[in-house]
Order: sequence, then C-alpha cells, then structure tokens
Amino acid sequence: MAAIELRDVSRRFGATAAVDRVSLSIHDGEFFILVGPSGCGKSTLLNMIVGLEELTAGEILVDGERVDALDPKDRDMAMVFQSYAIYPHMSVRENLAFPLRLARLPAAEIDRRVLQAARMLELEALLERRPAALSGGQRQRVAMGRALVREPRVFLLDEPLSNLDARLRVQMRTQIARLQRRLGTTTVYVTHDQTEAMTLGQRIAVMRRGKLVQTGTPQQLYARPADLFVAGFIGSPAMNFLPARLAGGRLELPLGSLALPERLRGAAAGPLVAGFRPDDLRLAADGETAGLCFDARAEIVEWLGADLFVYFDVALDGFGPPDLPADLDIQTGDATRRSLVARIDPDAGVKTGDRFRLCLDPQRLHLFAGGRAVGDPRGSPD
Amino acid sequence: MTVARRRRERLLWGAGSVLVVCYALVPVAWLLSLSLKRGADLGDHRFLPAVVSLEHYRAVFQDPQFAAALWNSIGIAGLSTLAALLPGLLAAYAIVRLEFPGRRLLLAATLAIAMFPPVSIVGPLFNLWRGLGLYDTWPGLILPYMTFTLPLAIWTLSAFLRDIPWELERAARVDGATPLQALLRVILPLAAPGVFSAAILVFLFAWNDFLFAISLTSTDNARTVPAAIAFFTGSSRFEQPTGSIAAASVLVTLPVILVVLLFQRRIVAGLTAGAVKG
Repeated sequence: MAAIELRDVSRRFGATAAVDRVSLSIHDGEFFILVGPSGCGKSTLLNMIVGLEELTAGEILVDGERVDALDPKDRDMAMVFQSYAIYPHMSVRENLAFPLRLARLPAAEIDRRVLQAARMLELEALLERRPAALSGGQRQRVAMGRALVREPRVFLLDEPLSNLDARLRVQMRTQIARLQRRLGTTTVYVTHDQTEAMTLGQRIAVMRRGKLVQTGTPQQLYARPADLFVAGFIGSPAMNFLPARLAGGRLELPLGSLALPERLRGAAAGPLVAGFRPDDLRLAADGETAGLCFDARAEIVEWLGADLFVYFDVALDGFGPPDLPADLDIQTGDATRRSLVARIDPDAGVKTGDRFRLCLDPQRLHLFAGGRAVGDPRGSPD
Repeated sequence: MTVARRRRERLLWGAGSVLVVCYALVPVAWLLSLSLKRGADLGDHRFLPAVVSLEHYRAVFQDPQFAAALWNSIGIAGLSTLAALLPGLLAAYAIVRLEFPGRRLLLAATLAIAMFPPVSIVGPLFNLWRGLGLYDTWPGLILPYMTFTLPLAIWTLSAFLRDIPWELERAARVDGATPLQALLRVILPLAAPGVFSAAILVFLFAWNDFLFAISLTSTDNARTVPAAIAFFTGSSRFEQPTGSIAAASVLVTLPVILVVLLFQRRIVAGLTAGAVKG
C-alpha cells in the first residue's frame, strides 16, 4: 500500500532529456497507466521509480518518504519486465521463491506464498517445469507470479502483454485488472497501446518526448484532450481532424460552417484544427439541418458486428492541410483532401460506394489552436 | 537428389571422418602401445605389443620424481585455473556490463598480451625470479600461467556473458538481490558453460606447458610432468627411457581426457534457452 509522488523528475543523457521534469502523484491502491509512443520516456520513468535508472534531477517519494537514493532492493517494489526476465536455470517454483529466499523468509512461509501465487495464476501444474518448457502466456504468468509473491508496496509493469498474441493479450488484460482490484496494490503500468491504457487504467498519464502531456481518467482524456497529440493518440479509430478558421463569429470547415459553440468562444483568429470522433457523427434523419450536415460517399466500409466504420473523403477546398503532430502518424489523404471515418449504425445498410448524409453535433466538436485545445481548463497555448 | 547420390555422399562423409579420426588418434595409440610393450620389444617395429606388460607403469610409479611432478602439475594447473578465472570473470563482467572509458582499449590490450610470444620473456623472467626468490617455486609458475591465460579467460567469458539477457540481472536487483548476489545467483549459473570452457582452456595451457616449466624450475619442488619426463633416464645408461616416457605421457593425458569428458555436457548444454521470450 503506497502513494507515489514524482517531483520534477528528469533523466538526461548528454543533451537529450529522456524524461523531462515530470511531476505526478499516484494514489494509494490506484491502477495508474503511463502511455505514449515508443521513445517517449515512459519505460525510463518506470525504471527510475523502481531504481534501475538514476535521476538527473527531482525527487521520488513513496508515502511521503524519499526513495530516489535507495537501492532497488530496498524499495519494496516488484516489477514485471516486457521480456518477462524469468530465470532460465530455475524451475517455476524456484523462480517464484527467488525473491522470498533473498528476503530470508522461513521455508514454510515461502512454500505457502509460492503455492498461493501459483494457485492465483493457475501455475500449480507447472511448478517443476523449466521456463524453456513453457509457452509465452505461461512465462508471462510466471513473471507476474514472481512479482505477486513479494506482496510488495507497488507493482510496476513494463509492457507486460506486448509479446503475447492478440487473444491472449485480451485475456491477460482482464486477469491483470481483476488481480489488481483484488489485491488493491498500487500499480504503475507502462504501455504504448492506448486500448490497454483505456481499459485498464483508473488514471492515465500520456507522455510524449519525455514530457507529461496530460493526466486524467480515461473518460477525461477521451472527452477533454488537452492537445492535438492526446486527441489523436487516445481513441480507436483516431479522432478526425480538419483545418478550420473563424469568419464573422462562425466556424468554417471544409464541410461547411456552423455557429461557434459557447464553450469554444475563446478561439483565436489564426489557423485552427477542428477535431471530432468517429462516434460524434451520425446518419442524418430525413430533412435534418440542425448542426453541421454534409453528404459523403463511402470509400471503405468496415463491419465489426456491433460497429460499422465508414471511411469517406473530404475535399479541403481553400483550406491548407491541418497541422498535426508528425508522431501521431495519422496524416491520411493528400494536400487537397482528407480521409475521415464515422461510426454509424450497422443496421443502416451503408455499402461501399453508397452516398449518405452525416451530421456532426457541434457540442462534441474539439478545437485546437497552436496544438492546444481551445477552452482547455489549463489555459492558452504556452 | 537420388538415393544413390545420397548414399555416395554419406559414404564420402564417413570415409572423411574416419581419416580425420585416424590422423588424430594414431599417435596416441602408438604411445599407448609403446607404454605396454616390454623393454626388450621396444624396437620390434610392431604396432600392437606382442606381450602386454605393465613394467613401465610400475617403473614410473616407483620413481619418486614422477610422483612429485604429478603433484606439482595438478596443484599448479589447478591453482593457475582459479587464479586466472576469478579476475577473468570479474573483468569480463565489467567489460560486458559497465560503460567505462577505455573499454575497447582494454579488450585490445588483453588480446595483445595473448599474442605475446612466451619465449621472449622467459629469459628475463628467469633472472627476475631468481632475484625475487620465485625460481623453482609454485608461485613462480602460477604467475606466468595466470598472466598468459587471463586474456583467453577474459575473451571466452565476455563472449558468453554478452549473450546473457541484461534484464535478468535487473530483475534480480528488483527482486531484492545485491549486485554481488545477482552476479552469483543469476548471472554465474547462466555463464557456467562459459566458465567451464575457460577453465578447461586455462587448465590445459598450464598442464601442457613445457617452456616455463623447464626454464623456471630445477628440482622436484615445482617441476611439472612435461618437464620431469624430459629428465627420465633408463634403468642403465645403455637403455633408452622410451617405455617410461610413453607410460608417463599416457598417465598425464588421462586426467585431461577425463576433465574434458566430464565438463563436455555442461559446455554443450544451452542453459540460456527460454530466458526471455523466444
């Protein structure tokens, strides 16, 4: 049981900062996610919390006590590595017992805890096996078990599911979530997968280029992204982006214009980027004109059972392409058109090549000026 | 590929293997045969002894010179192995796991030492050892053996250590191990095949060495078997000590074969299999 606090934590390698003045508090018992694209510093930050990486500057506190000068073995934290890092020369039982042996626990207590963890992770039948004789999923569970037996103050998981296949990943995801709720141990989980982040996390911190971009619940990040990067990174399929500008109190988009909603009144006159999620679009009812409605032609239709995603092109006429962060990797379309996506009712029967009419709810529109969200509680661009 | 061609290929491979094995083993077999012949039969031009006799073995074991030399060989080679492996292991570990300036230079320097011909220093060493009182002592041989095998040990061990996943040590540290515990309980067991390989190489170097042994010793104090064999005499001044030399050579070859066979399985066993996602 522990609350973790990071104060202006930095890690520099020469001139580059892998982690740049990150401050955040992780509450006691919380399932906290660090998410970001590869190379954003999230794993470095995790290694600094556990003590495998030194801090260039800043402080790390656990329950109000500084730990950043402590050796990893004195921090009472357990970690699951991306490669699992289970000891190949030990059986599963010896792997699980290893941290307890180092802690010089009595043999009976070691046996009890190893069995308990094995039961929790369904490893009982595999206790005498060597890691070489285990499947990927089983190795992953051994790595989890070795962290569990310690009954540590904090669990740290570094992309624990990225080496599993898709089906197993979903299965382990729910199992990890269930374990964490049951044990109530503070958990920090690093991933580059926004779906994992959204489904597992009670709170999420999005990192980019060593900096903390936004921290919040999955709902907050989804509904109120602080900038273009978070808006594009969170959510699948990604948010639609279009260039926009203000003219005479109205917001003009390549799709048409609409009255600026109250919430977005603070927008500057410069070039803007408008964003809306695929689920903020819906098929227009007959003769509907409320909000912003436009015609589109279905280029590609993806049917996923409960969802139907329709991809369509929008001509940018007169607008330059929107200025999006390059690391989002969502530059679809060329300089004159952009490909957008809408999630619509699968029963509507839209097929590839069909023409259909969509409406956008202005209340759900996001507006970004200079990369920052307009109307973001944290104020104007810095 | 046709069956006939495959058969021909197998035949060729088989014949080739037999040829190589013969080339390697005939001298050893000849030595064994000589050691089992009676003294009078030594020049009989036969490959197999007419009468098997253990008289040369008896003679060798009755010679106090040989017993002393055997003891010296075992002790000196064993201690040299330990003396080279301990610093070798720590050095290899540092070279592989730590970033420090001059790391590459250090590796190049150790290689340079390995290239150094021993014969070029044996003369000065002789004078130096006499001055220091190391002449004809165990340390007098252990020191040069350690020095000349250390590069070999460092190179072999660092090659093995490099293949061990770095994250295992980090995992051990998080699991509560001190750096030394992580080395001893996680890294070393995984490096065992490498340690055994290095140990055998170092041991063989010391065990087989003739140059240092003949130059830096003068009595049974520290004379090892290869040097002692050179001092064997026949039972009379008219007799060649061929039989005794052959018997002694067979006797010193045996432990080497034994050691290699004993550790062979550990060397071959791929212990790191399954360490990380594979």
